[in-house]
Amino acid sequence: MEIGPILRAMTRNKLGVVLIALQIAFTMTVMINAIFIINERNRMMARPSGADEANLFHFTSIGFGEDYNERIVVADDLAMIRQLPGVVNASTTNAIPVSGSGSSTGVRLEFDESQPSVGVAIYRTDDQLINTLNLDLLAGEGFTESDMRYRSESGATLADKTVVSRAAAENLFPDMPLNQIVGETVFLPGGVEVQIIGIVETLQAPWPQSSLIERSMIVPEMFVDTFSLYVVRTEPGERDRVMAEIEDLLLTENSNRVLRSLRSLEDTREETYRIDSAMSTVLWIIIITLVFITCMGIVGLAVFGINRRRKQIGTRRALGATRPEILRHFMVENLLITSVGVLVGAALTIGFSIVLTTNFNMPTMAWYYTPLGMLALMLIGQIAVLGPSSGAAKIEPAIATRSV
Amino acid sequence: MLQMTDVCKVFRTELVETHALKNLSLTVNEGEFVTITGPSGCGKTTFLNIAGLLETMTSGEYLLDGVDVSQLSDYQRAKLRNQKIGFIFQSFNLMPDLNLFDNIDVPLRYRGMKASERKQRIDRALESVGLLARKKHLPAQLSGGQQQRVAIARALVGDPLFLLADEPTGNLDSNTAKGVMELLQEINQAGTTIIMVTHDQELANQSPRNIHILDGSISDAGAALRNQPTSAVDAVA
Amino acid sequence: MFLYYLRLSTLSYKRNPILSSLMVLAVAIGIGAYMVIYTLNYTMGGNPIPQKSAQLFHVQLDTGDPNRDNDPPEQLTYLDAMALLDASLAQRQTASSKFTAIVEPANPEIRPMITNNRGVMADFFSMFDVPFLYGRGWDSSADDNLEQVVVLSREMNERLYGGADSVGENLVMNSEVFHVVGVLDDWQPVPKFYDVNNGPFDPGEDLLVPWHHIVDKDYGRAGNTNCWKAIDGTGLQAFLNSECTWIQFWVELPNAGEEQAYLDFLNSYAAEQKQLGRFGRPLNNALFDVEEWMIEQEVLPDETQILSALAAMLLAVCLLNTIGLLLSKFLGKSAEIGVRQALGAHKGSLFIQHVIEAGFIGLLGGLLGLGVAALGLEGIKILLGQDVMVTDWIQLNVPVVFVTIVLAIASTIVAGLYPIWRACNINPAIHLKTQ
Repeated sequence: MEIGPILRAMTRNKLGVVLIALQIAFTMTVMINAIFIINERNRMMARPSGADEANLFHFTSIGFGEDYNERIVVADDLAMIRQLPGVVNASTTNAIPVSGSGSSTGVRLEFDESQPSVGVAIYRTDDQLINTLNLDLLAGEGFTESDMRYRSESGATLADKTVVSRAAAENLFPDMPLNQIVGETVFLPGGVEVQIIGIVETLQAPWPQSSLIERSMIVPEMFVDTFSLYVVRTEPGERDRVMAEIEDLLLTENSNRVLRSLRSLEDTREETYRIDSAMSTVLWIIIITLVFITCMGIVGLAVFGINRRRKQIGTRRALGATRPEILRHFMVENLLITSVGVLVGAALTIGFSIVLTTNFNMPTMAWYYTPLGMLALMLIGQIAVLGPSSGAAKIEPAIATRSV
Repeated sequence: MLQMTDVCKVFRTELVETHALKNLSLTVNEGEFVTITGPSGCGKTTFLNIAGLLETMTSGEYLLDGVDVSQLSDYQRAKLRNQKIGFIFQSFNLMPDLNLFDNIDVPLRYRGMKASERKQRIDRALESVGLLARKKHLPAQLSGGQQQRVAIARALVGDPLFLLADEPTGNLDSNTAKGVMELLQEINQAGTTIIMVTHDQELANQSPRNIHILDGSISDAGAALRNQPTSAVDAVA
Repeated sequence: MFLYYLRLSTLSYKRNPILSSLMVLAVAIGIGAYMVIYTLNYTMGGNPIPQKSAQLFHVQLDTGDPNRDNDPPEQLTYLDAMALLDASLAQRQTASSKFTAIVEPANPEIRPMITNNRGVMADFFSMFDVPFLYGRGWDSSADDNLEQVVVLSREMNERLYGGADSVGENLVMNSEVFHVVGVLDDWQPVPKFYDVNNGPFDPGEDLLVPWHHIVDKDYGRAGNTNCWKAIDGTGLQAFLNSECTWIQFWVELPNAGEEQAYLDFLNSYAAEQKQLGRFGRPLNNALFDVEEWMIEQEVLPDETQILSALAAMLLAVCLLNTIGLLLSKFLGKSAEIGVRQALGAHKGSLFIQHVIEAGFIGLLGGLLGLGVAALGLEGIKILLGQDVMVTDWIQLNVPVVFVTIVLAIASTIVAGLYPIWRACNINPAIHLKTQ
């Protein structure tokens, strides 16, 4: 290997080196940080909500007219929906996971309101939600009809039982086995005492960006007004068929209402994470464009450099360089330039990642992103320069004796 | 040592066929100083390229050091050039980005020699052309004559079988040219075979053997004298 | 001379079409991509009401949980909003809240529909320069007397009345008759500065009615309601008396003196309330003008800020590329430059010739970049869809087109400075002798 002479020759062509090295450095910075952002978003999107999303759909019904009684309408609706062929179960609830809208509350271990509380999402539902969403009950049990509380005016929670998510349980009672947490009593605002009767593995809060995403509680309580949100689970493959039929069935049963937002939970998830997936797509386009531009730059400057040195290459061939040796010469030259680039790039990458972490609430980038990025860019450089280098290797030695 | 028999070189394009060399036969023995002359376009450069293994021939036989080189691959020819031939070019062909030491190092690198031996040889070669003190200089910092001395050192550093010089004084003024010629003659007297292409008949006349190429071939006289290599003139147009 | 140099530029382009096109492409991609992100940032982070933004203030009262150290609530409680309305110390003021209702169209062909509405006060329309297509807003007497008047969005007017002048029509909302007094023209400020809590890029509301109706008729409130303290008792009155915040409050204060006076009033009001056991935290009330409020609420998404840094680096790579390509091109013309120098061109004229040549490449890159930007914005629009946020504004506009062209030319010339300098300093002798 003739690294020494190549290096010494490079110092006499600093601009070419700087141009390529800087392109490599910026490309690496953008590429690595963008891939990290994409991975983070994918990780966030991949978190399970706990619900059987593929088979769930939901809609809202808003009643109007003097004699509209939500409690009766909901009971009739649920009875009708549950007996539909293809339907497993249906519930009414104030919120659903991944939808972006819902309620939260603070849970305390003591009655005293000045004590710190644990923030959780609160699902106020009928007694069937655990089955309807197909949640995984780890300990304890679900609700029965007698646990249900109904009310028509706002105020403190009426229910006295709750099922909580595992994350909420562990947050409230660290180091306590789940079986022992069942049976414990906690306090909601207003000093309302509720007993934990069950723990589900996962039930996400409705807001994907929230810090309390994994902490939630379900209370068997229904607010009777005119606004009802239904969620329905079907047999696999039956969802779209049931969705297509349900609107007419419900309006036939009671037409003093407006139905809205009939959609599958999968669509709702897609919409909730739309910005994230759009961001990922835009980042991929930027990465691909950048790699393309940088390769173009490497090829362009390599071709320029080789054309400028045709006679030198011919002379080297005359002096005994074989074709593979000429090829290797330019590959090594590129490797040295990209090495400079990825070293600068590593510093820029880490610097930019720190900027992202401090300003944009991003987690810290794992250590292996930077070295993998350096390797990737060196490989990209080698691939880009392969064409021009093999072109250089084809230069005839006889060019050395030509007079111009 | 170098033996060409009926060497032909034909350049073909779609429209024309050019016979650059026609049945050229020539033998050069060890220790000779042969000059090749001829007018522009006579085939001097083609002869040089074929003799130096820079180009392949169309037909004929070429024995180099007893080895038939006509069928060798590009890779094998490169290795032979590296080990057996020292080139000196009209425009020196030094690498402008490399200093003198690295320039002379080029052929040795391709030979895969150890660093210590390379250094020893380079220093000796530079010393023999009187430029050892300037080994860290770039070619651009030297005069034309000095640059050609560096090129000669580069040609000699690998202990080649013979030197192939292509108009080595063509880009030099007459005083400097004289110096370079003297250096080449010294080298020849020290035992190295030299084949020199030139258009300068006066220069050619100083050498013990001059071959004249015209329209791609050497005259019969040259062929007849092939076995008497010490004769002063091989061929006259 | 300029035209002569421009002609030389086109000739030079034709001589090296591949190299020149690569440069144009690099500039176009870099500038185009940057302008896509710039457009997003420019609008999303822009000032939606520049003519008045410094006189419009969002009122923030810190009625938060004294046991916690979180941000003050963005909205006001009913108690406080009513107190501010009663004091009526600002030149103009409005409470503002979202609610949903059911509208039963007179036309039996159209099914009843759920509408997104906003309760506002008479001053809302004049404060925010709301444009009207037909009619106008209501007077403050309508607020005080709970008149059942309504202003329709242009879109709702299309749906209900086919776009005709509906002023004077009656509209049934939640089984009660409202009198149409006005129809808005298109009005979609981006960001939707008057309500960033519910989504700064959400579509506007369908209907606007006097704000007091929300409480009077107990409409279904939409948007955020935040309560740090349990509601004491049940029923609407208990909710109204609670520490739950759900009302946005804006005031118009024409000068700094009035701004200070209003802040003093807020602070003395808070001090008074402390006597009653409310406002448990240290005094922390604030007035934010529109731009301050956009920044305070971090309206500009993280995504576009990150993307603008990445796009800037993409642009840098493209320009570095252009430097390399220009260098190849100009040094490839050494012989020509040598001849020109021999024929009497001095360095200054060579410099101008090459600046114009670089600028010409930049101009072509900018023009193509406009295409890239238009395509990119269209792509972003498709990626975001119509249902998550308002995206109509995502398109090229005059200032962006202008900035694109100027930036393309300027950055290409800057990228060309070193190559130009090299070209102008070529030694003519070398190139005239040997070639």
